[in-house]
Amino acid sequence: MKSLGYLVVTQFKNQLRELLHRPSRLITAIFVVAMLAVVLFAGGQTPQAGEEMLPLSLLIGVVVAFYAVMFFMIARSGLNSGASFYTMADVSMLFPSPIPTRTILLYGLVRQLGTSVLLGFFLIFQYSWLHNLFGLELPGLIAILAGYAVTIFTAQITSMALYSVTAGDDRRRAAAKKLFAGAVVLALAGAGVPMALGSGGLLDRAAGAASSPFTLLIPCGGWLGQAVSTAMGGNPLLAAGGLLLAAAYIAAVLVLILRTDSDFYEDVLQATEVSHSAITAKKEGKMQDVVPKHVKVGKIGIGRGSGADAFYYKHKLENRRARIFLLDGMSLIMAVCLLFFGYLMKDAGVAVVFAFAAYLQFFTTITGRWIKELTLPYVYMVPQPAFRKLLAVCREQVRSMAAEAVLVMVLLGLLLGASPLVIAAMVAARIGYGLLYMAGNILVERVLGGMVNKILIFSLYFLILLLVAAPGIILGIVSGILLGTAAGLAATMVWNLLASAVIAFACRDILNCAELNNK
Amino acid sequence: MITVSHVTKRYGKVTANDDISFSVGDGRIAVLLGPNGAGKSTIIKCITGLLRFEGEITVDGFGNKTLDAKRRLGYVPEMPALYDLLTVSEHLEFIARAYELQNWEEDAGRLLERFELADKKDKLGKELSKGMQQKVSICCALLPKPRAIIFDEPMVGLDPHAIKELKEVFRELRDGGSSVLISTHMLDSVEDFWDTAHIMMNGRFAATKQNGDGGESLEELFFAITEGKAVEA
Repeated sequence: MKSLGYLVVTQFKNQLRELLHRPSRLITAIFVVAMLAVVLFAGGQTPQAGEEMLPLSLLIGVVVAFYAVMFFMIARSGLNSGASFYTMADVSMLFPSPIPTRTILLYGLVRQLGTSVLLGFFLIFQYSWLHNLFGLELPGLIAILAGYAVTIFTAQITSMALYSVTAGDDRRRAAAKKLFAGAVVLALAGAGVPMALGSGGLLDRAAGAASSPFTLLIPCGGWLGQAVSTAMGGNPLLAAGGLLLAAAYIAAVLVLILRTDSDFYEDVLQATEVSHSAITAKKEGKMQDVVPKHVKVGKIGIGRGSGADAFYYKHKLENRRARIFLLDGMSLIMAVCLLFFGYLMKDAGVAVVFAFAAYLQFFTTITGRWIKELTLPYVYMVPQPAFRKLLAVCREQVRSMAAEAVLVMVLLGLLLGASPLVIAAMVAARIGYGLLYMAGNILVERVLGGMVNKILIFSLYFLILLLVAAPGIILGIVSGILLGTAAGLAATMVWNLLASAVIAFACRDILNCAELNNK
Repeated sequence: MITVSHVTKRYGKVTANDDISFSVGDGRIAVLLGPNGAGKSTIIKCITGLLRFEGEITVDGFGNKTLDAKRRLGYVPEMPALYDLLTVSEHLEFIARAYELQNWEEDAGRLLERFELADKKDKLGKELSKGMQQKVSICCALLPKPRAIIFDEPMVGLDPHAIKELKEVFRELRDGGSSVLISTHMLDSVEDFWDTAHIMMNGRFAATKQNGDGGESLEELFFAITEGKAVEA
């Protein structure tokens, strides 16, 4: 145990020391902490009196659903490759060492819990809108964060247990899959039955369902969601029930892991190797592609394109194999989230919902194939003019972006009851923002490409975009007030289009000047 | 011909390459030797135009970032860089299209045969082992028939047949008049065909030796330098 304690403490100390030796990391850490403080302080300012808020019970429902989705998504990996909370260094140094297996398991669990807490920090940045929309206070936020950490932890150990029990045994695996499907059905029933039995509109039913005992049927999500609900005015009895069920479940899973297979090393080895190769690939600049486990190769050959255009047709072929047809999985998830929030916020009006959509769009625009191209040597070495190559590698994303804008904005516009003219302006404005974010990416690569600290780059990217977008936002607000919503949206689109064109032209030589971005 | 004149590359306060000058003539094989962190891969990435630098680099008299230079230059990176979702044959097709090559199919087929990849031509990049990926990477670099070609640790991960074949390729490239620059840790792997050897230490050339100059062997010279004994270049 002493050696594991030494390992944990020394690694922590070295991380701190590293922070002091690398000013950019230190600045980033201070920046993140400062932002957290700002969000917690400014986000918690009391909304103006008379402002109507959504019921907190609805938020409990959202939390239950969020936990449940995270739980099922992570736990499911146990039916395939398993999950691991160990690194390859642990595998090669700890596993062969004369330290008891259970102690090493405990070490892994404790470290995983720490990682889960860290992963939940992104929730803090959601405080402001949660406070304004639901009136959530700080204790409630902390409870949600703690619940999230325990959910991730529970999902990880479930995944590990599933893998331990089913590894190498197809019959068991088939049974576990059925069990897993049963749990999903139970979860759907836990949410669906009280919704069906409730009365009123969809929101009223959802709010009512969140405080129903049926939610305790939802594995992990329902239990932990209810357990943290006391901090948001939830039912204390349900909270106690949820807490008890979660504790019993975690204990049972841990016993299962130790009882079924005290030699769990083999079970975690494959998962560790998979995650290690993903981390190594990332370090070596080989950005991981979104690749389905079983790729259907289909027709062989790129077939079209010559010179710089070869990149575009290659991207089309890659998309076909990745089963991305116009929209990727992440964009689809974001689209569903957006429609959900559009529904919740429809009284706020088109402009507010569109602004929120533009904010979410920022996070999905940085996933195009052209970013991956910058991490490989071909795009720099192919003997074609740099600007032509730049346009060719971006073309696929522009196409996806336009398709996404049409799909999402038309649905959102209909949901909000907007006129055809406003919907058309929404589509155009969304394309404008997409192009601006993409141009911002190019600009950041051009200006900050040599920087190593990705968090700092991301923060500066955010800042630069804010500065570039600001005139368009102001123009949009002024035009919107004077001439109506459609004119406001059209004005932002015109500005964003102009700004993107200027940036793209200014960075036309990026592929000659930028450095292979693989640090 | 590859010409490197007074090239310096800095990462913040660290100088990875310090005022390096050398050239690789047509029909010559130059090797870059040196311990880990000596700056070999950095100078290679500068030549291939993947890094910014101070100084001047030309390929056949053209600045290394011009299209004329790019047309003439091939590069096999240290870590094979393949697309996960393209098959082996599609990698070659992509290179042929991007470099606007004509009648390339026969050459591609020959390369695949040579590196024992013909039966793997429909395998995806992500399904290949590291050694296989390295072979595809080599085929991609050779397909446009570059006048100057740079190999960064090309032998790592290759099986004995591929190593033998690659050595043969080096000789053919030299005999065909190409300039070949190879960076490696494996001294014995280049022993029988190098023309010029540059030994790098701390971002600079610690010694340059011509094959046939006599005196100590490449290995003796390498250890004399890297283990701290002063040696005249």
